[in-house]
Amino acid sequence: MKDRLEELRTEGLQALGAASSLSSLKASEVQLLGKKGALTTLLKGVGALPPEERPLIGQLANQVKKAFAEKVASVSTALKEAQIAAELDSAGFDSTLPSAPLTLGGAHPVQVITRELEDLFLSMGFRVADGPEVELEANNFDALNIPADHPARESHDTIWVQEAAGETPGLCMRTHTSPVQIRTLREAGAPLRVIAPGRVFRQETQDATHDHTFHQMEGLVVDRGVGVPQMLHAMNAMIEGVFGKHLKTRIRPGYFPFVEPGFELDAQCPFCEAGCSVCKGSRWIELIGCGLVHPKVLKKSGVDPDIYSGFAFGVGLSRLAMLRYGIRDVRWMLGGSISFLSQFSE
Amino acid sequence: MKISLNWIGEFVDLSGYSPEELMDLLTLHTTEVEGLAWFADEIQDVIVGEVISCIGHPDADKLSVTEVSFGGEGPVNVVCGAPNVRQGLKVAFAPLGASLPGGLKIKKAKLRGVQSIGMICSEKELELGDSHAGIMELPSDAPVGARLVDYLDLLDPVLEVDNKAINHRPDLWGHYGFAREFAAILKRDLAPISLFEDWPTDPSAVNVSVTEAEVCPFYSVTSFAVPVSSNSSPLAIQRRLLAVGQRPVGLVVDLTNYVLLETGQPTHAFDAKKVAGQQLHVRCAAAGESLITLDEEIRSLTPQDLVIADSSGPVALAGVMGGSGTQVDASTQEFLLEAASFSATQIRRTSHRFGLRSESSARFEKTLDVSLPVLAQARFAHLLLEHCPEAAITGAPVPVGDSTPEEIHLTMDVARVAERLGLSLSPEEMAQTLDRLGFPVTVQDGDLQVQVPSWRSSKDIRLPVDLEEEVGRLVGYDQIQPKPLTAPLEPTSLSQEQLLSRRLATCLVGSHCSYQTQGYSFLSSEALQKWGLSLEGYVPIQNPVHEGADLLRKDPLFSLCEQAVGNEREVSAGVLFEMGKGYSARMDSTGEPQERHWLGLVSWNLNTLGANHVKGSFRSLRGIMEDLLSRAGKNVALAEKTIPPLSPLGNPSRILTWTSGPQETPVAQIFQIHPALRSDFGFVSQDVSLLLLDLGLLSQALDAPFLFQAPARFPAIKVDVSLALPKAVTFAETEAALRQAAGKFLSNLVLFDQFEGEGLPAGFKSLAFRATLRSSDKTLSEKEEKKYLKAASRIAEELGGHLRS
Ligand SMILES: [Zn+2]
Repeated sequence: MKDRLEELRTEGLQALGAASSLSSLKASEVQLLGKKGALTTLLKGVGALPPEERPLIGQLANQVKKAFAEKVASVSTALKEAQIAAELDSAGFDSTLPSAPLTLGGAHPVQVITRELEDLFLSMGFRVADGPEVELEANNFDALNIPADHPARESHDTIWVQEAAGETPGLCMRTHTSPVQIRTLREAGAPLRVIAPGRVFRQETQDATHDHTFHQMEGLVVDRGVGVPQMLHAMNAMIEGVFGKHLKTRIRPGYFPFVEPGFELDAQCPFCEAGCSVCKGSRWIELIGCGLVHPKVLKKSGVDPDIYSGFAFGVGLSRLAMLRYGIRDVRWMLGGSISFLSQFSE
Repeated sequence: MKISLNWIGEFVDLSGYSPEELMDLLTLHTTEVEGLAWFADEIQDVIVGEVISCIGHPDADKLSVTEVSFGGEGPVNVVCGAPNVRQGLKVAFAPLGASLPGGLKIKKAKLRGVQSIGMICSEKELELGDSHAGIMELPSDAPVGARLVDYLDLLDPVLEVDNKAINHRPDLWGHYGFAREFAAILKRDLAPISLFEDWPTDPSAVNVSVTEAEVCPFYSVTSFAVPVSSNSSPLAIQRRLLAVGQRPVGLVVDLTNYVLLETGQPTHAFDAKKVAGQQLHVRCAAAGESLITLDEEIRSLTPQDLVIADSSGPVALAGVMGGSGTQVDASTQEFLLEAASFSATQIRRTSHRFGLRSESSARFEKTLDVSLPVLAQARFAHLLLEHCPEAAITGAPVPVGDSTPEEIHLTMDVARVAERLGLSLSPEEMAQTLDRLGFPVTVQDGDLQVQVPSWRSSKDIRLPVDLEEEVGRLVGYDQIQPKPLTAPLEPTSLSQEQLLSRRLATCLVGSHCSYQTQGYSFLSSEALQKWGLSLEGYVPIQNPVHEGADLLRKDPLFSLCEQAVGNEREVSAGVLFEMGKGYSARMDSTGEPQERHWLGLVSWNLNTLGANHVKGSFRSLRGIMEDLLSRAGKNVALAEKTIPPLSPLGNPSRILTWTSGPQETPVAQIFQIHPALRSDFGFVSQDVSLLLLDLGLLSQALDAPFLFQAPARFPAIKVDVSLALPKAVTFAETEAALRQAAGKFLSNLVLFDQFEGEGLPAGFKSLAFRATLRSSDKTLSEKEEKKYLKAASRIAEELGGHLRS
């Protein structure tokens, strides 16, 4: 029995030492020490020994068991260290290999900008309104202080759905998102903060910089004590949001019949310091039409201009997208080419 | 519109400012200047020369050989083809190396064997006129060697202003209006326009009458006489006209143009001899009358057109264009000058109806100051006598109507204006600012009493609020400090529909490899008809942008299919979607066409289940739709009955619909494209499926209840069965039967394979299902697996087939 144990010790230690991996070490351990393992099986014969030999054999068996456990621990540590060392060795690993090709989707650039602006204005307490794209002539023009025969109507190059005749109201493809001002103001009254992104339509011959369908965003704030300073602050926040950096801005006189005074807001060209092709050398780019809401517009929408004032603004979303991404031809926007759409993500 | 800064300089001292600075100042304080160009900068190399000798060319009849001296170096030989070249003439000379308009550069040349070093220029070559009959003749006292541009004071910085931007400012349609702006901006004096005042006592010999006083509140005629010899206007007039792009044609017409460009008021000259009956009558045209206008077009008139008529009929289209029959020309000795006020609406309508826009109609359309005609006729008389002393005023103006402008007095609430503009200005500061623009102001009890001058009162300043801009822009908007909005803090959020749209778009882009696109709202009725589709229910466009855009779309699928076809060559399988409006000819309660907010989607060649023997975009779309609907969290159900396609593009027998509510309103649908339309669109792929989802309806559907279920603690067992079934048996009935038979341990049942053919009896197909069996309180054993297999076998037999494995 004693010889068998000594033999097992030698064989066992050898087997454990020869293990080349943690799993083969485990297998050898089980073979020796498991329920059906060699040591366990051998010790089942202890009962048959004379009583005086039993303590000696028991002692020896414990020594063997201990030797095995120590060996397992040391081999296991060595194997683990070797594995870590191997993984830390750069040889044979090509980190430059590509992944399998991914199939991805893509967002529309105007949608990307729209979402960003919606989130920005939501955070400033605005809500987002929607309005019909086929609009009543009365909302698209008259309520915005652009009566029939107003010269501003001509510059709108309207696409008509139905000319007004007798009781039949005039209907047109909305030429701007401004009628949403009127709708929201009538429905919700003052005070109000709202933006309205959406598509608008003009009679335009398509070329690299013109399309008959494009996207705009309207904004309107009506409250007590709102004036040009608040308008400037909100516009600066919008521009910083779109271009991701602070840009100097300036306002200058501009004419929109539904605001008085009206302004054109220019931002410092984000692409240059000394003039470039985008700003046509002027270092300024015209971005936003804005102004204080005309008292006639407030009155027509049921808001008392002696109590409330407000500002309104309109910005071309298609234009913002083109500026931000350097898209030089507007026809990509509604062209649906995946090679175009795949370049944008939220 | 072109604005000559030299011209402005006649009224305001612009010294100390560069043209670029003036351009910026005008942009910041008045209106955007789009560009700056120097008039005559291309002829700066041209020098005053003298022809010191001139002989005929030995080998060419029409050429002369001259010697020209031009200061500096000695005289040079120049060959010249002009008939009027002669010894002693002072000429515009382009020496060797000089540049001329159009990029021409003067080089040495040999003409028929004679050396020519330089060029004697015509007005046309210098772009100073149309005349190329001969070379330009300069006065005999012109200093030889001087630059032509200096001698004639030609160099002129010219600003380009966008006409659209000054539509609301009638006062800015002449140089004097801009001079007034510069005077106010620079805080310098504005010189008055010199006017003729000493009218003869006898009125002009012409009978003037106005029938339509409503659209012609003032009409005045003055008679003049000019000597025939003085046909062309002096250079001082011509250079102003040329600098702003107006071609000189003759003294009288040039002066009417000059007055128009200076004051903004159009006038018109009739040749007095050609006016029948010595009368000018402002009236509406009679039906059937016609007029040949100055552009030699015959205009058929209607009673809506206002005309000026003599005793024989119309001689001018009022405010738009004169008639060629009474035109002033080189033989004119006496003429009648019209200066009038016409209604803007009247002029715009006539001008539109004839598609005839003139400098005159463009101005009358703006609602001009009614006191301007009197000023314009006095200015004309002054200029005529100044530049043609032999001319005579043969009668005093004969006015009809009233030229008194409406007086507008406004009260300005100084505190409110200061708050709205964000400029803290005292009443006095505001008053001074308005005064600079010519508004008489008095301060009363801290508020301003403002009188609006006639040139601003005709249209753009009618309300107190209109004065705010005047104050703000002159003080300078750069003085305004931005301030944040203040308001009670209240939560804001997107609407249900907006949130839903966002969530679905994110899901499609992020999880289903889809590209979000935008398509046009317009369709072609011709294409629809060609493809045999009904035009019913489409909204027609009255003035389409082009022929192929004469209807409004009902949903985004048309443009999606077109875009998909455009992508097919590059992208063999893909998904495009759009969230956009569709329009229906049905009117809603407000009299507007109904609009639906759609999610439209097109897919081509999408594989499903990853196995190459199970293909089909239709089934892929079902998966995508189920994902969308589950993310929407709305209570919608697959319709049991067949619902016709929501779009005419759909194949009515390859369709699946989801409905909501007790009315089972269809909110979403997938279908294959109609096979005939697939080829009409030009699809290469045979496998094209479409999806439509009404975002408005879906957002209104009830929320689907959602409850968390604790993940199971005991392991599941997976059992695969393959059923051979007659082809007519659907997946849906098989699946329903299996579910029912599987018992309470079934937690999931999916189809993982389906095929027909090899190894199956004729008329049979195989459907393979994987069931997941699981219990919440124990580990399942083989017993449950066997029970399920037995049930599956029974179902297969009940459906007319058998279990394959
Ligand atoms: Zn730039």
